[in-house]
Amino acid sequence: MDKKVYERPVIIKQYSGLMNKFGGTTDQTPIKDIDGVSVKQLVEDFGSPLFVMSEDKIRANQRKMLRIFKTRYPKVQFAWSYKTNYLDSVCSVFHQEGSWAEVVSEFEYDKARKLGVPGEKIIFNGPEKSSSALIKAIKENAKIHIDHFDELYQIIEITESLNLKANVAIRVNMDVGIYPKWDRFGFNYENGEAEAALRRIVVNDKLNLIGLHTHIGTYIMSAEPYRLAAVKIVELFNKLIDEYDITLEYIDMGGGLPSNNTLKGQYLEADQILPSYEQFADAVTSPLFDTKLSGDKMPLLILESGRALIDDAGYLISEVIGNKRLADGRRAVILNAGVNLLFTSFWFKHKIVPAQDTGGFTENSSVYGPLCMNIDCLREEIVLPALKRKDHVVILNTGAYSVTQWMQFITMRPKVVMIMQDKTVELIRDSENLEYITSPEKLPEKLKEFSL
Amino acid sequence: MKLFIESIIFSYSQIFFSNRKWFGIVILAASFITPISGIFAFVGVIISSALALYLKFNKEKIRNGFYGFNGILFGAAIGYFFEITPFVVFLLVVFIIITFFISAGLEHLLHNLFNLPGLSLPFILTLYIFLIFATNYNDIFYASFLGESDFLKEYLHEILNSYFGAMSLILFQKTVLSGIIITAAILFFSRVMFLNTIIGFAVNYLFLHIFYQDVQSNVLILTSFNSILAAIALGGSLIIVSRKSFFLIAISILMVIVFTGFFSKLLVSHFLPVLVLPFNLIVLSIIYTLKFRQEQSDLVLLYFAPGSPEENIYYHSVRKARFERFKFLYPELPVLGEWKISQGIDGEFTHKDEWKYAWDFIIIGESGNEFENEGNSVEDYYCFASPVIAPLSGEVVRVIDKIEDNKVGEINVQNNWGNTIIVDHGQGLYSSLSHLKKNSIKVKKGDQVKKGDLIAQCGNSGRSPYPHLHFQFQLTNKLGDKTYMFPFSFLVERENTDNTFKSFDYPIKDKFVKNIETDSSLSEAFNFQLGSNYIFDCSINGKNFTEKWEVKADILNNIFIQSDNNSKAFLYPNEKAFYMSSYIGQKNSALYYFYMSSSSVPLGLSAKLTWNDPFPVSLTANSFVKYISEFLLHFGEQIKSSASFHFQKENEKKELSISSSLEVKGQGIFKLYRENSEGNVIVDKSGNIKEFTYKFRNHKFIATNKRVNYE
Repeated sequence: MDKKVYERPVIIKQYSGLMNKFGGTTDQTPIKDIDGVSVKQLVEDFGSPLFVMSEDKIRANQRKMLRIFKTRYPKVQFAWSYKTNYLDSVCSVFHQEGSWAEVVSEFEYDKARKLGVPGEKIIFNGPEKSSSALIKAIKENAKIHIDHFDELYQIIEITESLNLKANVAIRVNMDVGIYPKWDRFGFNYENGEAEAALRRIVVNDKLNLIGLHTHIGTYIMSAEPYRLAAVKIVELFNKLIDEYDITLEYIDMGGGLPSNNTLKGQYLEADQILPSYEQFADAVTSPLFDTKLSGDKMPLLILESGRALIDDAGYLISEVIGNKRLADGRRAVILNAGVNLLFTSFWFKHKIVPAQDTGGFTENSSVYGPLCMNIDCLREEIVLPALKRKDHVVILNTGAYSVTQWMQFITMRPKVVMIMQDKTVELIRDSENLEYITSPEKLPEKLKEFSL
Repeated sequence: MKLFIESIIFSYSQIFFSNRKWFGIVILAASFITPISGIFAFVGVIISSALALYLKFNKEKIRNGFYGFNGILFGAAIGYFFEITPFVVFLLVVFIIITFFISAGLEHLLHNLFNLPGLSLPFILTLYIFLIFATNYNDIFYASFLGESDFLKEYLHEILNSYFGAMSLILFQKTVLSGIIITAAILFFSRVMFLNTIIGFAVNYLFLHIFYQDVQSNVLILTSFNSILAAIALGGSLIIVSRKSFFLIAISILMVIVFTGFFSKLLVSHFLPVLVLPFNLIVLSIIYTLKFRQEQSDLVLLYFAPGSPEENIYYHSVRKARFERFKFLYPELPVLGEWKISQGIDGEFTHKDEWKYAWDFIIIGESGNEFENEGNSVEDYYCFASPVIAPLSGEVVRVIDKIEDNKVGEINVQNNWGNTIIVDHGQGLYSSLSHLKKNSIKVKKGDQVKKGDLIAQCGNSGRSPYPHLHFQFQLTNKLGDKTYMFPFSFLVERENTDNTFKSFDYPIKDKFVKNIETDSSLSEAFNFQLGSNYIFDCSINGKNFTEKWEVKADILNNIFIQSDNNSKAFLYPNEKAFYMSSYIGQKNSALYYFYMSSSSVPLGLSAKLTWNDPFPVSLTANSFVKYISEFLLHFGEQIKSSASFHFQKENEKKELSISSSLEVKGQGIFKLYRENSEGNVIVDKSGNIKEFTYKFRNHKFIATNKRVNYE
């Protein structure tokens, strides 16, 4: 028989609230292992904080999404959104599952090429593409998605001066009835800018127009905007056939599908209010059957889903540094992982779950990180059982944007491991050390000497 | 000139239904053993072929000796029967011209009226005309056979003398020697044909002694000669060889004996010889009669350009295995992505009796279940509300769209087909899609749909306890009509991690199936457009040559690739799969190696896709075991050959390749015989066949596309 868990004494104000038939208990099932590997073992082997990625979950997510779209449209291609998580190992899992790469900077482009993604299977998005990046991408036949006119002129200049031919698409933004309207990216549909850009491209024989791209936003909570976006893109697609006799290879509907994380403004949990991925897929694909093409001639549908494929495949294990009682009587828990590692906690209410058995009493708590900064708060309010120093917690749904947006601020960034399908654990990014941080630094000779 | 020479040689081969040059040359040589017959025969073929060329008959037919062989027989017969005078030679020339016209006309007539070959009927007709015409003259004398000695006869047994005598009489030769040469040539050309001559002779010998107490040697030779020819024609050259060939040969020989007796008496009053008349009439009438059987599954009449009996049976069995199931309509699965067959043909639940040719489709998720959560609501099922597409173009003839979807576990037996669409595909074929989701149908009665159009969503209406799509082909627009067995054209079937490409097949329960998603570079590479040209730099064992191909079409709309050495690979054009239906030509051309290494290629790429395709044994390299095994071909094929294919991962240049391993394997007592070879075809990313290689025994063949420039 296991030893009973020690529970530190707590004094809780008796609070009856309104009568309900469910009582006041909170589900407090601890997460003691991830993919069959115990959290305790992980911390022993790799320390904490520790990012954990699950290979199995990534593959399952990608396969599920592919199945959902492929049973709704005959030609589907996913392109892994590098900015969501560009750890080599993570990208490789996606590439093994058949995904292309979607990059938004020269750095990401180079990273994809270094991993072995062929140029023609890289989609080059984003508002900033340097000339050197463009030349490289054009030469390697990458699919360049043009964001604005100045970029178009830049590409025309490059192709003419170097006598190259570029494979291009344009990004189109449009009103699909949601806020914020992402009109800062691409060419607007309603005011005719997109068509003007297309006209510029089709008359230029150095530019090979191959696709149309839109990306209506991020964490979109309704499927209908996608249907609207697809309808408008298909209109543009058909217009190109009618007026210019140009048949494009693909329609890129971008990403923006929500993950399981709950936004700060949301009252209900994400999985209770979000449409299913099937509904999103239905909205994206059904208008595509209205292109003027059919059967094998239909355009390829490209999807750049990021967070929906990776968020729940990532975990952050953290350790309790201490407990304290705030001035207003609220309980506060201090963890060794804060907003430096979990930038996404600025807008998501990440679930935080204890990694070991706890007592049954729970208390509304605030969760703070280790930084000596007031903003370092992971959760303003969360119901947690009593935790003690050196206990561990698992923060869920941290696969998207965390290991790309994390900061080396005050502390150094920790290790990232991947639990493989065979239950072995691989270190996929080592923790940073002083040398790594300081090696790019240059200390002028005259500043080296000091005596205190 | 080349055509002319070839036409002469092939005319000699044609007498024995052969298509080999060397065989023609040997027969030509054998015909000169009796020089006068040989010379006359040669005159006959030269005049016939020259005439055909001069009058611009079909060059291919001229080349194959189609118009020449009756001339040979006629010339040889005149040399055989008559004493030579200048006037006889003059008449010979005149009558060869007559023979030519009769044969060209009769050939056409028989072909168009009865779809029968002309055989040597033109020759025998002209000969009779000649013989009767010759009676107008007193100075045309029959040559005397008596007194001519044949030294070989002394050394051979009487039966052998009769056998070889009959063989030599085919060419109107008087010596046993030419019979021996002809027999040897046949043995090398075809074991089946050789065996047939023996069977023909032996059975005839046996039957003849039942019919007549005392068999005269000239009767024996005359019937033997007809029997042997009938055995050759019916036992493999015009009908595919099988066990039943023995029976057919025996029947034909009985008829030969009876008809020979009949014609001897009938024609004797006009002083006409019987010669090959019984053979012609019997073979033509038997072939014609066999056409009217209800089932043509055995004693199959030749339906393609004839080769040796061996080639015929090898070609036929491969053709049957590859194309028997092929149809002229190309339906695809009515769903997108990968679905599982939850109930197949002759299923355990509802696909029974008249409704047995149907399929139920469901989707399986990553966890291996068909639903998520508890599966208590239809929305939990992955297939629920998934799109259903038109399997083939056609007109929507029936739409039912107002039946409620059942709760899980319940069934609606009042409207057991549920919401249903029936599409008329023309040609009498209809498809019916049932249990669709209420209000999900996007088409209405009278709409024209194209293959792949979105028409509805999978649902749970009708007799459906859990969401699935019921699909069947039928022959009317009636709801719930009996099912019709019709295959899906091209699909990929998966079991665990094995993906197999299937053509015109019937998906099986529990297999996962999906349509072929075509790959642009593959489609481009295997799209052999009419009129396009290819040049390949080839090398085999260090010997280099170039070969040109051109894509052509013949009068029957067959599309084929023709190489500059006159080999042909026939194509079966289709947007989902590339098929070469057959290869005719030399076994050392680049086209031959191309056929061997890519006889079929699905035009959709998936890494672990494999497929199998048999190829005719006759296309494999010659071997002693193969020769020997062909003595037993009457009892079934002794050697099987098949190729298995798979796509290779892209190489560093992003080129994909199709790898094949070909196996020739002995059956039964030849079990130990086995030979392997390997092929590989590389397709570059811009859609060209860049290179192909073929390795067999110690040889390595490699061809690179000359048109495509590679750095």
